Amino acid sequence: MIAGKYAEMFRLGVRNMWGYRLRSFLTVLGISVGIAAVIAMVALGQGAQEELLAQYGRLGIRNIIVSSVKPSDEDQGSAGQTSWVARYGLTRRDYRQIRATVRSAVSVLPVHTHADRIWEGSRSVDARIHGVLPEQMRLFRLDVVRGRPLTAMDNIRLNQVCVVRPGLLRALHYYGPALGHHLQVGDEYYEIVGVLREEEFTGLTRKALNADPRSLELYAPYETVIKRHGTMSFVRKSGSFQATDVELHQIVVETDDQENVLTTARMIERILQSFHRRRDYEMIVPLEFLAQRRKTQEVFNRFLLLIAGISLLVGGIGIANIMLASITERTREIGIRRAMGAKKRHILAQFLTETVTLAGVGGVFGYVLGVLVFSPLLEMWTEWTTIVPSWAVPLAIGISFLVGVLAGIWPATRAARTDPIHALHYE
Amino acid sequence: MALIEIEGVHKYYGEGANALHVLKGLRLSFPEGQYVAITGASGSGKSTLMNILGCLDRPTSGDYRLGGRDVSSLSDDRLSEIRNREIGFVFQAFHLIPQLSVLENVEVPLFYDDVPRARRRERASRVLEQVGLSERLEHRPAQLSGGERQRCAIARALVNDPRLLLADEPTGNLDSKTGEEILRLVEELHASGRTVVMVTHDPKVAARAQRRVRLHDGEVVEDTASPGSGEGGAS
Repeated sequence: MIAGKYAEMFRLGVRNMWGYRLRSFLTVLGISVGIAAVIAMVALGQGAQEELLAQYGRLGIRNIIVSSVKPSDEDQGSAGQTSWVARYGLTRRDYRQIRATVRSAVSVLPVHTHADRIWEGSRSVDARIHGVLPEQMRLFRLDVVRGRPLTAMDNIRLNQVCVVRPGLLRALHYYGPALGHHLQVGDEYYEIVGVLREEEFTGLTRKALNADPRSLELYAPYETVIKRHGTMSFVRKSGSFQATDVELHQIVVETDDQENVLTTARMIERILQSFHRRRDYEMIVPLEFLAQRRKTQEVFNRFLLLIAGISLLVGGIGIANIMLASITERTREIGIRRAMGAKKRHILAQFLTETVTLAGVGGVFGYVLGVLVFSPLLEMWTEWTTIVPSWAVPLAIGISFLVGVLAGIWPATRAARTDPIHALHYE
Repeated sequence: MALIEIEGVHKYYGEGANALHVLKGLRLSFPEGQYVAITGASGSGKSTLMNILGCLDRPTSGDYRLGGRDVSSLSDDRLSEIRNREIGFVFQAFHLIPQLSVLENVEVPLFYDDVPRARRRERASRVLEQVGLSERLEHRPAQLSGGERQRCAIARALVNDPRLLLADEPTGNLDSKTGEEILRLVEELHASGRTVVMVTHDPKVAARAQRRVRLHDGEVVEDTASPGSGEGGAS
């Protein structure tokens, strides 16, 4: 019965909105823009969030990545190294020490990256072959789409196999069947056993994975690379040879728990400090980056919310304004209804229903506007990703309901308090 | 038994020394089924009396008993219920709701009495048939002639089957021919047993009532019954 009454009031509300089409349209538009702004801002925040996760989550928030870096010249000088070979970076001793002493490490993985010329027939390209343990592929989700990943057995048997990025084959103009084909790295041949997903790394991820900016990646068993190519790399640079001797390019540590990441990082730092006289390594802790970026993001999100809130406020004031005008215009109707037996709360409910209906329609349009127009536009202008989360639907409904009630309560109360006698004679 | 009994009713507008004394201790009693015309110049207090009789306003002091029940001190909600169930209003300016159809306008009182939709429809169509508007159910008030609008308003006043019909200058906005039609309709309703109280300034209209009450300056100055009406007269 009561519900039926509100259904009727709703119908009446819709009727009145239709009766004052232009005015209702403008009101709905005001709310729509507010809701659309909220949706777009939420989508922007969500997009940034997901992007953060995609970026740092890819590196794994439980992981610590230590990379060798070439020390600056003064450092080299002070080390008294005048040889033509640049020798620096992480060593197998570091690796063994970390492995032996860091209890919170679930796995410790060495990486040796050999830079060389890679041949396919008569075509060649300068690229890098990463000698990795199979766990490395799992840890960084370097998944093969065809063939098989590297295995522990490959490592033990020193199999000359590799998995490649499709980009490398393209760079070599090789378009034949990849699996079973051989590539020549320096003087050694590697059989392609797996093809990686097409993927391009940027920013921190590229740096942390020591990935090629051209996406020319080649992964082979760690032991094989060390045995076949040694630790020396020769790079031709503007006519002169430069030789570098780096034992390990990276040591990747996976910790057992997110809680232990920072203490583990400190522990590793201490070990490395005791072994290295120069700062020829660098540590990347994705969790730290994530935490930092999240804090920035949080401030940004609040700012976005403020903007959205202001546009909602404007929309709400619009509704209140329109309702006040409407109530003045319909004073006589209020008087008639009161004479016919409407109680104050009936009048209140009627006008409140109208504002909530207006706001609700605004909410629906606002959602559509936000998803179909505002978010894509924002994405175009800012070049940030926007993702409309599924909870945006209840959010839009909830907010528009709230705005409807808040904007309607005062005009509706005024309507309910109108003296029926004066209302009846109102011209 | 008297349907309406007012005793020592005073009405002031405003407060203190500037207060306007509009009704000065009225004492009236209308038996059930009577047809009463209230006349008086503007400012005589007849509108205020109508508002009090219609439970739209409360007397400042004094008693008003409607159907034996004291309504002078009831809450706003209770008064709304009484207006809804016991009183039917007919106004000079018709007072139909412009955005509703004829049928919906007549349904309004039933809506506030929580009558289900289907029964509302049925009862509203029935009274509209009674006033001869069956052909106009879906029209908007603006599409009707003055006479039709007033008939629609009368249908609305009747739909809750009230005991008291209050008509405030029902023919004031109509030409004499349609006014005559409306008066006949009112008289028919009276003939079927309803109590009718009508405010008018037109002596010819007042003459058709069983009883005429004339107000002047908030007091009853004349209260006469037509010959042959049997009841009424000074009480």
